Amino acid sequence: MTQLALVIDLNVCVGCHACVTSCKEWNTSGWAGPMPDERAYDADPSGVFFNRVQTYEIGVFPNTETLHFPKSCLHCEDPPCVPVCPTGASYKREDNGVVLVDYDKCIGCKYCSWACPYGAREFDEQGKVMKKCTLCIDRITDMTLPESERKPACVLACPTSARIYGDVHDPGSEASQAIREQGGYQLMPEWGTEPANHYLPRRKIRMHIHEDELVRADNPLSKEGVELPFDQGETLDDVAW
Amino acid sequence: MKKMHYRELWCSSPRYWGGLSLLGFIILIGLGAAFYMEHSGHYVTGMSNQIVWGLPHVFAIFLIVAASGALNVASIGSVFGGPMYKPLGPFSSLLAIGLLAGGLMVLVLDLGRADRLIVAMTSYNFKSIFTWNIFLYSGFFVIVGAYLWTMLDRKVERFKRPVGFAAFFWRLALTTGTGSIFGFLVAREAYDAAVLAPMFIIMSFSYGLAFFILTLISAFWWSGRTLGDVRLAKLKNLLGVFVGSVMYFALVYYLTNLYITQHHGVERFILLEGGIYTIMLWVGQILVGGVIPLFLLYSPAFATSRTAVSTASLLVLIGGFFQLYVIVIGGQAYPMSLFPGKEVIQSAFFDGVVASYVPSLPEALLGFGGIAVSMTLVAVGARMLLVLPETLEDPTDECP
Repeated sequence: MTQLALVIDLNVCVGCHACVTSCKEWNTSGWAGPMPDERAYDADPSGVFFNRVQTYEIGVFPNTETLHFPKSCLHCEDPPCVPVCPTGASYKREDNGVVLVDYDKCIGCKYCSWACPYGAREFDEQGKVMKKCTLCIDRITDMTLPESERKPACVLACPTSARIYGDVHDPGSEASQAIREQGGYQLMPEWGTEPANHYLPRRKIRMHIHEDELVRADNPLSKEGVELPFDQGETLDDVAW
Repeated sequence: MKKMHYRELWCSSPRYWGGLSLLGFIILIGLGAAFYMEHSGHYVTGMSNQIVWGLPHVFAIFLIVAASGALNVASIGSVFGGPMYKPLGPFSSLLAIGLLAGGLMVLVLDLGRADRLIVAMTSYNFKSIFTWNIFLYSGFFVIVGAYLWTMLDRKVERFKRPVGFAAFFWRLALTTGTGSIFGFLVAREAYDAAVLAPMFIIMSFSYGLAFFILTLISAFWWSGRTLGDVRLAKLKNLLGVFVGSVMYFALVYYLTNLYITQHHGVERFILLEGGIYTIMLWVGQILVGGVIPLFLLYSPAFATSRTAVSTASLLVLIGGFFQLYVIVIGGQAYPMSLFPGKEVIQSAFFDGVVASYVPSLPEALLGFGGIAVSMTLVAVGARMLLVLPETLEDPTDECP
């Protein structure tokens, strides 16, 4: 079975929130919308977001680092939100593994929100139904779009390509390759929900600069002991053609 | 044995209609609050994506749990053959139906889409404990309704015992189902414990009986009928046993969680550092809902005091409400751990930090509206049906 998902590279994410805004823009006017806000420009704003970027400062000064952690529905392979839904409004698509909510069947009991261990569910306080990331199902299944655009809005918007989209069951996909080769991991695999979305770990990059890299050992000028500045005579720059 | 006569609940018209009008007014306010919340969206409530079930759900679960317990008196009479309880059976059934109706009204009106109740009644996912509860709740009305019928109509009296058995087992299943809503939850650390199902059953015994005692005393006072001391003492002692059992199950529940290292954090939160939830647990649930009622029920100083029994019943209900508040809201307030082993100090979107919940007035009004619905149904039912004996004087020829 195809299992579409996102692979998010935490090493590359710079926390710019482009994925958040593009998600909101696309989905609020699309199939999954609206995504209403309350007090959007006021104190204590609130609203529906399918994708949120949490920024954590890790450690204690001076040994701190910043982590940007984008979180949305992980489209679990064994999603705990689906069996608990009394009306069957929460379901997993068999053709591509995307977990969705049928808004016409949702009665707003919020029991799925209780069951999701990742806190990925978002209650639409105006529509009074439960919503969540759809992986832009109306984009990725729209055959009228060119293939390069048949991707979730967040993936297209990410300036650093921190979000890789693809079939994680296809070993040849870019997503599977990234998971396999760059240590992709699931969020809290101990729940047994088998989240389809994966994260690529932050990778520490340390540069070691040796002294001889600062002072050229093979500097031809120093070898010949020429004192600077020296008269170079006529150069090509002085030639009038 | 002296023949027992039942009569409708008659009292002076101003007293009856005045009481009913007051209940009607509370219901109207509750419905108005529900409409306000429905019209404005859940923004006007204290609920959020972290605390998804708020005060109305506490009221709803409280009434539903109490409903199944209220039937206990009837079950003792017909299933276990307790002669002292038999005359109380019809009223017990009526109260059970009334409490369940009130609880369900709050539950349904607190749903995001109460208008889609028909979807919930026609589209089922049988893997969901919620779906099972829909059947358990509707079935309860049918079975207890039939049970009441067998107790009121001599023509079908021969079915009383089998239907009584069915009602007894159904009510056990119902409370198991309600407890399992939480017991089956693995995502939140405060739950995921099989003991929650039997704990809800014993909680139902306690709350239901407390409701029963209060409404029985009120009804008899309302209509100026006699309620004997021996019968009340029976109910009083039974309530004491149930209150003690609830405390025992609460102890087992918390000890079970304390045994599991993974749950130490949530237990520390609820038992020690949870602020309002910790206070509600120790002062509300344990002291007000447990220790003081036990003292009032068992102290020789209050052996024949009806005020003590009524106060103890009221305190059991208040303590029970706090118990459910701690279970439902406290369990949600404790954060889900996204990064096991890490402590999240601050989070812009509430991940990993304790969620705050301040119940709003409309939520409370809807809850009180549910209680008023229950009491109205009981008052109207008792007025129209022969559920209350003319007198409950202490028997002279029955085994006490």
